Amino acid sequence: MTAVLHLRNVVKQYGDSRALDGVSLSLPDNSYISLLGPSGSGKTTLLRVIAGFEQPEAGEIRFQGARIDALPPHQRGIGFVFQNFALFPHLSVEQNIAFGLTNRAIDPVTDGEVVRRKVKDMIALVGLTGLEDRGVSQISGGQKQRVALARTLVTEPKMVLLDEPLGALDANLRTRMRSELRSIRERCGVTFLHVTGSETEALAMGDTVLVLDRARIAQQGDADTIYNRPSSPAVARFLNCYNLLPGQVSGESFVSSVGTLGLGGLRQTAANPTYAIRYDRVSIRAKDAALADGETGIDGTFIASEYTGSAVNAFFTLADGSIFEVEQHLSHAAPSTFEPQAAYRLAWKKEDALVYA
Amino acid sequence: MNANGIKLGLAFYTTLFLVFLYGPLVVLAILSFQTGPEGGPQFPIIEWSTYWYKHLFGLTPPSRIAPLPIEEGLVRSLVLAVMTMIVSTVLGVTSAQAFRTRFKGSGVVFYLIVLGMMVPGVLVGLGMALVANTLGIDRHWWGTTFVLHVVYTYPFAFLVMLAIFNRFDPSVEEAAWSLGVTPARTFRKITFPLIFPGVLSAMLFAFTLSYDEFSRTLFASGRDLTLPLAIYGTFSVEVHPNVFAFGVLTTLFSFALLGTYAVLMSLSVRRARRVLVQEDA
Repeated sequence: MTAVLHLRNVVKQYGDSRALDGVSLSLPDNSYISLLGPSGSGKTTLLRVIAGFEQPEAGEIRFQGARIDALPPHQRGIGFVFQNFALFPHLSVEQNIAFGLTNRAIDPVTDGEVVRRKVKDMIALVGLTGLEDRGVSQISGGQKQRVALARTLVTEPKMVLLDEPLGALDANLRTRMRSELRSIRERCGVTFLHVTGSETEALAMGDTVLVLDRARIAQQGDADTIYNRPSSPAVARFLNCYNLLPGQVSGESFVSSVGTLGLGGLRQTAANPTYAIRYDRVSIRAKDAALADGETGIDGTFIASEYTGSAVNAFFTLADGSIFEVEQHLSHAAPSTFEPQAAYRLAWKKEDALVYA
Repeated sequence: MNANGIKLGLAFYTTLFLVFLYGPLVVLAILSFQTGPEGGPQFPIIEWSTYWYKHLFGLTPPSRIAPLPIEEGLVRSLVLAVMTMIVSTVLGVTSAQAFRTRFKGSGVVFYLIVLGMMVPGVLVGLGMALVANTLGIDRHWWGTTFVLHVVYTYPFAFLVMLAIFNRFDPSVEEAAWSLGVTPARTFRKITFPLIFPGVLSAMLFAFTLSYDEFSRTLFASGRDLTLPLAIYGTFSVEVHPNVFAFGVLTTLFSFALLGTYAVLMSLSVRRARRVLVQEDA
């Protein structure tokens, strides 16, 4: 697979704070890439720099082999879908979609017949048939999303940047649009770079997932790698499915403030030694239950549990007061009930733990 | 005080407010129907008539009261107001557009522009007259006065447009750029249609402010008088109800202007909603 977009050492500064601190990345052609980051991590800035709406202070951006960081947005050939859709409010659905084709500086389509045909095809592709003449204030959120997408795709960019495109939709619609977006992308054969703050969205949609942390790329990989082997405690934290315990490695064990834990799983280097164990890899035992071979564990006091439908999340406090979360899938076992304020043993296999030291 | 009392108090206050606001106008309007040519600008109404309206248009038999010397002034004032409106609106739109991005010295420039509506008109008018004399420039309504009218009305147009751009969502422009459309074409096709209601307001401001501008014009206009000056000139001799009749007519004209504005505004708002056929087909 060839790379379509290269960033090298891109720096963007706002006053004293760095929104992008030397971002380097390389994105494959014809794929769905999701960019995950907490709010304030610089993900929107990164997209705006790639699109040309913001000028980076340093670094190099190459798109299809050519440097584009000095080009104005309209000469870059990169599409952009806004979180608020940014539809042209004075134009109809059809006019919105045709706007780029007829008005672009490079190779505008002047033949009305061609425009009509292309717009018609695109309207069919995104499923808006019948709404051509509607004003954009007369359609629903999901339909606006499709217009925004169609308006961009009809100009046939090689790459489309999507800034939290599902953020303005309700939960139901969001899940439906996920698969829609993926299939639309496959049919058009372009690269989508989808920015999101939702880890489930990032993992579900991206062929490749990028994780942005404190203005830098923290990890790049497929969803499985990111989820099972986050490369740093910070990445593990965004995934929102790991208990993180700070401490020190000492010989064959990890000494944390809540007890000494056995080592065994993947070890990676990190500045702040951290022990990570996934919510759903922990089992809850009686207080004095013995640990099996290859297991390790700590004691925790049960506080409350939360029923999510397919699973139950149980929350415990540890000796140092921090919260420890355990996820029990209901397909595996009937939910057990726990006594509030009672102590339990939380156990897991050593090999399931991720250690950063 | 109970809620009813407050309501009553507010109603009374509002009534007083309206009386003070429109009272003088109503009095003028009533007096304009005084009989002529012997009836004067005071109550009681001797006899209701439209004599002074006819007098305005020279439809009455000659009498000792000279017709109002306003015909040329009216034309001058209208032409001047249109010129001012065009220039001020263009300046206001373009400079408000410039202020959307921070630039060096934008604070100073802002206050320099706004200064034009702050400084007392008499001072500016007198200053312009002195400068024109010193430099040997003839004073004309289409020259020195025109410049002063622009200096005066431009800040209004500028502030109106600044407020409009403040609420303008720049992402629609970025969306257009990302589709490959140049900034210039984006402004014409996207930005301008969206800010058009604001542009109309700016035009209305500039036109009406210039049309009845007096103090700046007084010193800067030279020999040929604009309408407000011409009317003022008639006061120095003797006031007849023909001035009132004229006042009623100009008020009606202003209402017509506002009506046009309202129609254009609602059209442009409706155009945004209306189902349209393909413009470029």
